[in-house]
Amino acid sequence: MDLPHENPVTIITLPTDLDYFWVEKTRLFDRPEQALVLDFSATKRLDSAALCAIRLLQEDLKARNGRLVLRNVSEDLLSLLENPSKPLEISARAPRSPEGGFFALVGDRLIGAKESCIAALSVLAEMLYWGTIGILKKREFRRGVVGEQMYLLGYKALGIVGLLSFLIGMVLAIQVAMQLKDFGASVFLGPLIGITMIREMGPILTAVILAGRTGSATTAEIGTMGVGEELDALRTMGINPIQFIVVPKFWALSLTMPVLSTLGTGAGILGGWLVGIFYLGLSSSTFWGQLSENLHAEDVFTGLIKSVVFSWLIIWIGAYYGFRVRGSAESVGRETTASVVACIFIIIVADAAFSFIL
Amino acid sequence: MQPKAEKPIVAATGISVYYGALRVLREVSVRVFPSEIRVILGTSGCGKTTLLKTMVGLLRPAAGSVRLFDVEIGEQDDPETIAVLKKAGVLFQNGALLGSLTVEENIALPLQMHTSLPQRLIGEIVEYKLSQVRLAGSGHLYPAELSGGMRKRAALARALAHDPPVLFCDEPSAGLDPTTAAGLDRLLLDLRRTLGITIVVVTHELRSIETIADNVSFLKDGSVLFDGTLAEALTLTTGPVGEFFSRAEPPLPAGNGGPGYGFIVERDS
Repeated sequence: MDLPHENPVTIITLPTDLDYFWVEKTRLFDRPEQALVLDFSATKRLDSAALCAIRLLQEDLKARNGRLVLRNVSEDLLSLLENPSKPLEISARAPRSPEGGFFALVGDRLIGAKESCIAALSVLAEMLYWGTIGILKKREFRRGVVGEQMYLLGYKALGIVGLLSFLIGMVLAIQVAMQLKDFGASVFLGPLIGITMIREMGPILTAVILAGRTGSATTAEIGTMGVGEELDALRTMGINPIQFIVVPKFWALSLTMPVLSTLGTGAGILGGWLVGIFYLGLSSSTFWGQLSENLHAEDVFTGLIKSVVFSWLIIWIGAYYGFRVRGSAESVGRETTASVVACIFIIIVADAAFSFIL
Repeated sequence: MQPKAEKPIVAATGISVYYGALRVLREVSVRVFPSEIRVILGTSGCGKTTLLKTMVGLLRPAAGSVRLFDVEIGEQDDPETIAVLKKAGVLFQNGALLGSLTVEENIALPLQMHTSLPQRLIGEIVEYKLSQVRLAGSGHLYPAELSGGMRKRAALARALAHDPPVLFCDEPSAGLDPTTAAGLDRLLLDLRRTLGITIVVVTHELRSIETIADNVSFLKDGSVLFDGTLAEALTLTTGPVGEFFSRAEPPLPAGNGGPGYGFIVERDS
């Protein structure tokens, strides 16, 4: 054997079965020696960990001008060790991330954002078209499904919307009541809570609950259908998936959301009334009298308009993220999360816009 | 081969398809003539399913064109494309039955959406289709309640609901036991014999290919390597097509694709 004199040679006798337990124990992949002889005389089998460890050892020793000798290795084992797997031809594909630094990255992101906006607006346009003009194509509109969706999206959300609105109404009333008491203006609790719930809190609270409930369910449903090729099946049958899946939900939520929002608002006001009666000692007639005196039809109208628009936003965003799902269950989870976040964000932005308009 | 005077039902001409930067199909041309069973075959990852999806308009080629009944397949919302695709039935690899509908609702769907037939007649057609695929009495079940083979047969019944003149099948016998797979092959042959239906099948199941194919298109790395009759394909003994039909593993390239690790070997004499 022709090893450099300055390097002491370490000889490692390998066992019959060279497996990862042995590799782990001897740290075969990470030897400090410069000159190493692996004696394969007894070795009959080696597992993947051992094979890769020996290859790594060879690369490391080559890199630091060391030397690895395989002694008495059989032809079979040598061919296993020598033959690197053939790289797939797709390794020649273009790089996924753009080259060219910061500006290319920003440009790439901007193009991606533009494409996302176009896709989202296209879903919105199709939803509004098939939900309105498209309904005239009577045969293709599934009326029975609207009823079913009203039950699933609306009726089944009633409990949680009512309960949360009631609690929020109470919490809001307690906070307001503490301030009003100090100023001797407790009688104004009714209009304060009532108008806040009717104009603002009722619609937005219902929308946020439904964004988490219906928006996410819409994304997950459409996404799962995409993964299972069900959307492709619909397309090949000449059925528009938006018309088939989204439009019934669009109508179901457009019809149930104002009802849910009204009931939620009612529950919130009821919570405020309880605080007024038991915490501030107001009479019922004072609470309701003050509320009806200060409430205008415009407030009710604003709340109802908001709830309808929020329902469209929930279905639109839920559907858009559903159609973004590509290939895997993990993608369904990712897009569902993104859908809920985007839904809540856009509802709050829309609410802010309404504050200026209405 | 085909009589050249006849017009093809499906004509894919020079199509190239990309997934991002990756070219999956390179200038592929395939023509399918009336009442033909054309099998598109090749090893996994060669672009068979991509070709089928392009033929039915689910993917848009970057180059080339697909014509179905002499109508060019365009965007999915193009009215002409929608109209011509209604003449095609598609059987997806996993069935792709709508999970929220029962089997009979799935089969009735294309009839309800595209025809004015009375519900009673649609119900009768559904029953007939179910019996055709030997699933009579299973119409009330949901797809999740069916076995893999039943799901595939139910999906075939849906694909055949409106008696399309052309049927596209993606891996119809994949994942099925040999008996069920053979039954499905027999069913496809019966359909061609009784209805004169044109069938395009994507598969790599040799037994199935040898049973049903009139003509085959062999894909390798996204290109058509062989296009001809099954009999011609079976005469080949060398090359990828010969290896495929002889069930032989292709030889590894010299050096197995790389320079090796250059181990120093020492043996006791």
